[in-house]
Amino acid sequence: MITLRGKLKKDGDVSNSKSKEYNKRASVRDKLLVKEVQEMEQTLPSTCQVTFDDPHRLHEFILMIVPDEGYWAGGRFYFQISMSEEYNMAPPKVKCTTKLWHPNISEEGAVCLSILRQNSIDGMGWAPTRKLKDVIWGLNSLFTDLLNFDDPLNRDAAELYLKDKDSFRSKVKDYVRQYAKR
Amino acid sequence: MADSEQDNTDRGDGDNLKSDKLFTLKKWNAVAMWSWDVECDTCAICRVQVMDACLRCQAESKKDFYGRQDCVVVWGECNHSFHYCCMSLWVKQNNRCPLCQQEWSIQRMGK
Repeated sequence: MITLRGKLKKDGDVSNSKSKEYNKRASVRDKLLVKEVQEMEQTLPSTCQVTFDDPHRLHEFILMIVPDEGYWAGGRFYFQISMSEEYNMAPPKVKCTTKLWHPNISEEGAVCLSILRQNSIDGMGWAPTRKLKDVIWGLNSLFTDLLNFDDPLNRDAAELYLKDKDSFRSKVKDYVRQYAKR
Repeated sequence: MADSEQDNTDRGDGDNLKSDKLFTLKKWNAVAMWSWDVECDTCAICRVQVMDACLRCQAESKKDFYGRQDCVVVWGECNHSFHYCCMSLWVKQNNRCPLCQQEWSIQRMGK
């Protein structure tokens, strides 16, 4: 017989076990992050800086990149990085919170970087063997070595570059002046 | 260090052989090192030694009938080893070895 008390008890059990499962996964993530955050801070490139709003939440932080060469030199770009409780089976989530003109970062802040892809067939995507320091290195390199005009997220930016490098350069500079001033 | 210097002298040109012994070995300290006979002794997924229980099993403190943590090691055809628990979570998403990107197939399992 279905009774209210029985139903309440069952519902309670389900939500309880769900939250237990969440805590277990979150604790695995946090244990991984204790080591990875330390390693990340020790190997931080000179153009990067990380800030934790809440030192008890290692799975959420802000990365600031100040490129010292390339088209975006002189700008100050902020990225919001967070790890879900599925980490490190799932990659970190990254959003660029500074508006910029870049072929691999949309104006809305979506970032196209191979190692941040959850499912990839080419073996370049996320793997649980990758660490936070690899993500920082990848994002930092988007402004230099990993800059890629062939597979753009911001098509207009890539097309402008192919058509007219000078106006690409000046548009980048305009955006930097307007949104990414030091 | 001292040993290796002596080694070099002994192996030197014929001069040493003819002349009187330059060195005599009076004391000898042997040092042995050991490691598990696996290519990678740390699981690259959870970063815990493969011979210990993985991070997830430690969090759950799962024990088998004998009170041991029942978390086995798995070797792929590529000779990379991981905790079975860690690897089975990952292959659900992508059936490749996360270290070498080869198609994952199990060579053996156990401790």
